[in-house]
Amino acid sequence: MDARALTKVFERGRRTWIQRLRREPDHRERFVAVDGIELRVEQGEIFGMLGPNGAGKTTTMRILATLLLPTSGAARVLGIDVREQPREVRRRFGAVLSGERSLYWKLTARENLEYFAALYHLPPRRTRERIESVLDAVKLTDRADDYVERYSMGMRQRLVLARALLPDPPLLLLDEPTVGLDPQAARDMRERVLELRSEGKTVLLTTHYMEEADQLCDRVAIIDHGRIVALDTPTALKRTIQAEEVVRLEIAAEADGVVSRLSENAQVARQERADGLLHLTMHTVSARDFVPRAFDAARAAGATIKHVEVVPVTLEDVFLALTGRALRE
Amino acid sequence: MLLLELRAFGAAAVREWRQLRRYPTFGLGLLFWPIVLPAMYVLQARGYSGGDQRAIDAFAERSGTNEIAGFLFIGWSMYMWLSIVLWGPGTLLRTEQVRGSLEALFLTPASRIGILFGPAVAHLVPALWMYVVVGIALRFGFGLVVEPAAVLRAAVVILLAVPALYGMGALFATLVLRVGEVVGPIQVVRGVFTVLCGITFPIVILPDLARSAALALPPTYIIADLRAVLLTGADLVDLVPDLAILLGAGVVLCALAAVAFRRAEAYARRGGRLAQY
Repeated sequence: MDARALTKVFERGRRTWIQRLRREPDHRERFVAVDGIELRVEQGEIFGMLGPNGAGKTTTMRILATLLLPTSGAARVLGIDVREQPREVRRRFGAVLSGERSLYWKLTARENLEYFAALYHLPPRRTRERIESVLDAVKLTDRADDYVERYSMGMRQRLVLARALLPDPPLLLLDEPTVGLDPQAARDMRERVLELRSEGKTVLLTTHYMEEADQLCDRVAIIDHGRIVALDTPTALKRTIQAEEVVRLEIAAEADGVVSRLSENAQVARQERADGLLHLTMHTVSARDFVPRAFDAARAAGATIKHVEVVPVTLEDVFLALTGRALRE
Repeated sequence: MLLLELRAFGAAAVREWRQLRRYPTFGLGLLFWPIVLPAMYVLQARGYSGGDQRAIDAFAERSGTNEIAGFLFIGWSMYMWLSIVLWGPGTLLRTEQVRGSLEALFLTPASRIGILFGPAVAHLVPALWMYVVVGIALRFGFGLVVEPAAVLRAAVVILLAVPALYGMGALFATLVLRVGEVVGPIQVVRGVFTVLCGITFPIVILPDLARSAALALPPTYIIADLRAVLLTGADLVDLVPDLAILLGAGVVLCALAAVAFRRAEAYARRGGRLAQY
């Protein structure tokens, strides 16, 4: 799967028929949701698109899934152009895009799958076997004949995944597959995604959970404001910030020069004031060396360090280093 | 491929029927309204005519039958069926959109026709049930006997009318993708059909302009032809010009609907409107 210079621009507001008939200039505000994205997903890998809400991940996913037309650029899924042959593209992937609401709650899981098996053009002789197989894959066999309305959210999400697996597609598109799930259900879903890779399937997923991207993905594209700001393996991405550890400090009392003193010993990745405290995120090669120096620097500046937290480098820190903002913002 | 599409069409019908079955009280309304609604009009007609033979003769002269109850029951039954086919696909599309399942359907390679019109087939089951109820009411409540051969001829009329009605239904469905809400337009068109297509009165009483408009609407022919075969014993050969118009309208409307739906889907895909409501 690849995308070249993929761009999607939405127009905000309405242009009336009268304005169109009069051929008045179009003054609608333009919003660039996807801004020239270039990516290539290799066969058999789990490729993640990581970014905050509104970064353009889902829009990109929807273009690849043929639900949206790009404004410009091109995208091909298994060699087929999504704009020219959307129906052919749809035959080749399964998708978890629209969450639990996309199921028929007044039908059983099996009935839901029977319906979608027909829509995916599964031959009748294969339908029963495929339904049993996907129910087993998502561990819903024993609840297959219950109405979906009686399912938990995690079970519904697993059923949505089962539906995506029905046509046994070589490619799966998963949009925020663990959003809203409890920790256990999210863990189960992640394990299932890893199993998919071991079965030889290609997975493209979006997430705003850095741990999820780190744990699941062979490669990650970090997306912000519709652009890919970094693309590599999680390990390589974390290496780019040239720090082994992250130290988070909370400093009481405003003191001139405390930040500049601290920055002599580590890189200041982020600083913000909240609740009367100065919150600093520092990137350092060795927390063991930096922390005593930080206390010395604070004392010299007349400030008090109230809290210290040392954590390993995560993709969140990579995002922070690249954009100056946290993923959750 | 055609077989797989037919299977998808059938699966959409089965899915809808399964959901209908899970709300059994829905059937109660089908026992009640198909009788009560036209019966009110029959009583109204009797009240206005006062049972005077001259009034009944005047009605027969304009409508071609003196079976007032049959005339009204057929008009309303057809109206209810027309409602299912005409508004069904648009309403279904809207329901799927609001529920959140429309995108999941559009992610499959199945034809949109099967997805949209399959459920309308499921609704024909309660429609058939409604006809049985109406038939029983006419037979035992109003003494009207319809020959089996006439019922067969009526079935042929309905069959030939399907393309025109499905074409109109698909045109309405495109509105959902364009504007989202269709209740307003549906109410307007429903009103126009009720007034112009002769649901409760013969269209000859309409002013010339309105009658011309009525003759441009396929439901007018369907209702008139069904009354002709069921009440006056007309043969299908007598109805060939009407049926040709219906078929021709069906071809034109289906072609229009196919183009309009494709354009509406492209519009929705450009603006991301499939998931918006």
